[in-house]
Amino acid sequence: MSNIGIDLGTTNSLVAVVMGGRARCLLDDDGRAILPSAVRYTAEGPVVGYAALDDAAGHAATTLTSVKRFMGRSMDEARSEAAQLHYELAPPDDASEEKVVRMAVGERLVTPIEVSAEILKALKERAEECLLGGVGGAVITVPAYFDDAQRQATRDAGRLAGLNVLRLLNEPTAAAIAYGLQERSQGTFAIYDLGGGTFDISILRLEDGVFQVLSTAGDTHLGGDDFDRLIAERLLNEAGVVGARGGALRGAMEAAESAKRALTDAESTEVVAQLGEVSATFTLSRDTLNTLIRPLVDRTLTACQQALSDAQLTAAQIDGVVLVGGSTRVPLVRQVVEAFFGRVPFSDIDPDQVVAVGAAMQADILSGESELSEDVLLMDVVPLSLGLETMGGVVEKLIWRCSPIPSSASQTFTTHVDGQTAVSIHVVQGEREMARDNRSLARFKLGGIPPMPAGLPRVEVQFLVDANGILTVTATEQYTGKQSNIEIVPSYGLTDEQIEEMLESSIDAAETDVDERLLVEAKVEAEQILRAVEKALSSDADMVQEDELGSIQAVVAELKSAIDAQERKKVNDLSKKLDEVTAPFAQRRIERDLQLALRGQSALEVADRLDRSNV
Amino acid sequence: MICWKCHERLSSLRCASCGALVPPPAQPELFGALGLDRRYHVEAEAIDGAWRRRSKDTHPDRFAASSAVERRMALQWTATLNEARRVLRDPVARAWYLATGKPHPAESGGPKLSPEFLEEIFELRMAADDEPDAVRDTAAKLRARLDADLEDLFSRWERGEGDLSPVPERLSRLKYVDNLLRELPA
Repeated sequence: MSNIGIDLGTTNSLVAVVMGGRARCLLDDDGRAILPSAVRYTAEGPVVGYAALDDAAGHAATTLTSVKRFMGRSMDEARSEAAQLHYELAPPDDASEEKVVRMAVGERLVTPIEVSAEILKALKERAEECLLGGVGGAVITVPAYFDDAQRQATRDAGRLAGLNVLRLLNEPTAAAIAYGLQERSQGTFAIYDLGGGTFDISILRLEDGVFQVLSTAGDTHLGGDDFDRLIAERLLNEAGVVGARGGALRGAMEAAESAKRALTDAESTEVVAQLGEVSATFTLSRDTLNTLIRPLVDRTLTACQQALSDAQLTAAQIDGVVLVGGSTRVPLVRQVVEAFFGRVPFSDIDPDQVVAVGAAMQADILSGESELSEDVLLMDVVPLSLGLETMGGVVEKLIWRCSPIPSSASQTFTTHVDGQTAVSIHVVQGEREMARDNRSLARFKLGGIPPMPAGLPRVEVQFLVDANGILTVTATEQYTGKQSNIEIVPSYGLTDEQIEEMLESSIDAAETDVDERLLVEAKVEAEQILRAVEKALSSDADMVQEDELGSIQAVVAELKSAIDAQERKKVNDLSKKLDEVTAPFAQRRIERDLQLALRGQSALEVADRLDRSNV
Repeated sequence: MICWKCHERLSSLRCASCGALVPPPAQPELFGALGLDRRYHVEAEAIDGAWRRRSKDTHPDRFAASSAVERRMALQWTATLNEARRVLRDPVARAWYLATGKPHPAESGGPKLSPEFLEEIFELRMAADDEPDAVRDTAAKLRARLDADLEDLFSRWERGEGDLSPVPERLSRLKYVDNLLRELPA
C-alpha cells in the first residue's frame, strides 16, 4: 500500500505519490497531471475534471467549479461569493440548512463537501490504477489560513471519498517540503502561491527540523483568471465589441489565456479570437501584457509586505522564496517577486505540481517506511484564535493565533443563578473582541449540573486542537467529580450524523468500499485495544480490582463477538467502552511505574519486578 | 524509567527499542515535561531547544501508523509540550507558575495590595494626561525596583535560600505598573 498526497485546489487538483524515493504526480490517460476542480452532474452521474469543463457553457447550471470557496461556509457567508458564479446556491428551507451551502443540480441538492468528495474520488481512482499495491492513507493540503470548519469540511470530504485521511497539511508547508528545505539546519522562507483565482503568501521558519508557519496573508480573489480577464477586455476593446457576453466573451477569454501562455517565452504573440460570429486576429506584446497586469501583481506585494510585518521580518531576512501556482510562470510575476525579496526564487519544480509533490513526500514520511529523511517535524500553527463567549458577548481567548499545534487549554466556568443545572457554551474562532464578530464554531449546553448555589459549580471546558488544526471541546463539572456528557452541535458544516448519512445514502458503487473500510478500521483499532488490554491484564494482574476485572472481561467478550459479527457501530462503541472501563487500571499502572522510577529504584529493579509479574 | 510496552530502559520520551511513548502525565509539571530544572533563570533558547527535541519524539505525525491509544498519547504529550513552552518562555507567566503552580493570578482572591501602593498608582493615573513624561519616568522606576526585587527573590530561592511566598504580591504590583505604562499616551 502506498500513501498518496493530494492538492485539492480551488481551480485544479492533483495527486502524487513517492515511488522509488522520488515524488511524482500521477497522470490521467491523456498524460495530464492536472484534474480541473470541476464536477458536472448529469443524468448518468457526476463527471469530473476536463470532461466536466467540456461544453461547460451548455451546462452552466450543473457544472460546479471553485467549490473550495464554500467549504465549511454557511449560506450567509457564501452569498457574496456566489454573485461571481455561473451556478446558483439553493435557498435553505429552514434555519438548519443555513449552516451549509447547498447547490441545486437538476433534481438534487449537493454540498461542497460532496462535490469535493467527487474530485477526491477521481484522484483516488487515478491512484488506484497507477499503484499496484493499492492506496493506503492520504495527506490532503489546505490553505494555511483555513479555519476549523473549513478543515473539518475537507477532512469530511476525504472520508466521503473513501480515503483514510492521515493528515491535513498546510499548502505552503507542502511546497517547502517539496524543495527539501527541511534538510537545511535553519532558515526563513516565503512561499508565494499565485493560482487561478487565489493568492497566498506564507512565511515559514525552520529551526532544528521543526517547521512553523509564522504568518500568512493573501487575496482570495486574485489570480491568473484576473490576468485573462484584463487581456480579454483589451481584445474586445480593440475589436470594438461592447458589452460582450456569452460566446464572444468566452472566445475572448480563451484567446487571452493562450496569449498569456505564449508570452511566457515569446516577446510578442499573435492570437486569433473567435468572438461569437466574427473572428479577429490580435497582436499582443509582453510589454503590453505587463502594463495590463502590473496593478494586480503589485497587489500581491502589498500582501507580501503584510505577511512580513506580521512575522516581524524584513524582505532581506528571507533565506529563500518558493514559487507555487501556474500563474507564477508569468515573467512579470517572477521579476517582481525577485526584486521584492532581492533573490532568485526557487522554481525548478513545476509550480502547478509542487504542493502535491510535497504532500506525497509527507504522506510517505507518515508511512514510517520512508526512504526520505524522517528527522523533520512539521509543526503547524492555529490560523485564528479559539475562544469562548463570556458575559456580555465578550470573547475570552483560550488558544491564541499562531500557537503551535497540537494545543490544549482549559477554562473553568460557574453558574450565575442559584439552582442552575445547565451552562451554555459558545465556541468561536477569530481575532475580534466580540463573539458576534467572530466565526461561531459550536454551541452546546452542559446539562446535569446538580442544583447548587450560584458560583459553586465548577465547569471545566477543555479545548484540544489536533495536528490537523481541528478542535475538540469537552466539558466536565468538577464539583460532583462527574464528567458530564456533552454533545457538540457544529454551528457550521455538517454533523457527524449528517456525514454518516451521506456515507450511507450514497448509491455510488464506492459506497461498499467505504463501509468496508470503516469496518476494517474499526476492527483494527478494536484488536489493538484488545491486545493491549490482555497484555496488561496478564502482566499486572495484581493491580486489577476484582469487580473491575469482571466488567473488563465482560466488555472484552462483547467486543470480540461484535468483531466476529462484523458490526461496525457496535465495535466502535464497545472499543470506546473498553477504553473507559480500563482507564483507572491503566492510570494505576502508569502511576506505579512513575512511582517506582521516582523512588530511585534502578531501572533494572523495576524491569525485574515487571518481569516477575509477567510470569 | 522503563518502557511500559517492551520494558526496555528509556533514554527519552520515546522508547528506542519499540517506539512506544511514555504515557503523558495527567497533571503535568511544565518544567519536568520539557526535561528542564525548575528555575526562574532559564534562557528562551534552552526552552525552545528542549521543546524541539522532545516534540520530535512525541509529535502525532510520528505515530500516524500506531494504535488510537498511542496516537492520543502523542497528541496529549505534544499539546503539553506546547503549553509548557508558551508558559515558560514568558517571564511573568513563568514567575507565577513557579510561585503558585498556575501561569496567571487566580481569578479571585489574588494577593491583597497595600492601600499605599494602590493610592500611588491612582495618583499616577490622575497625573497621566497632564504630565505623561513624568509619570512614565516614575512608573519605569517602580518597575525597575519590582524587577530587581523579583530577581533577588528568585536568585536566593535558586540557591536554596528563602521561599517564593512574596512573589505573587510583587507580580500583582507589576501588573498594575505595566497596565499603567501601557495606557500612557504615546
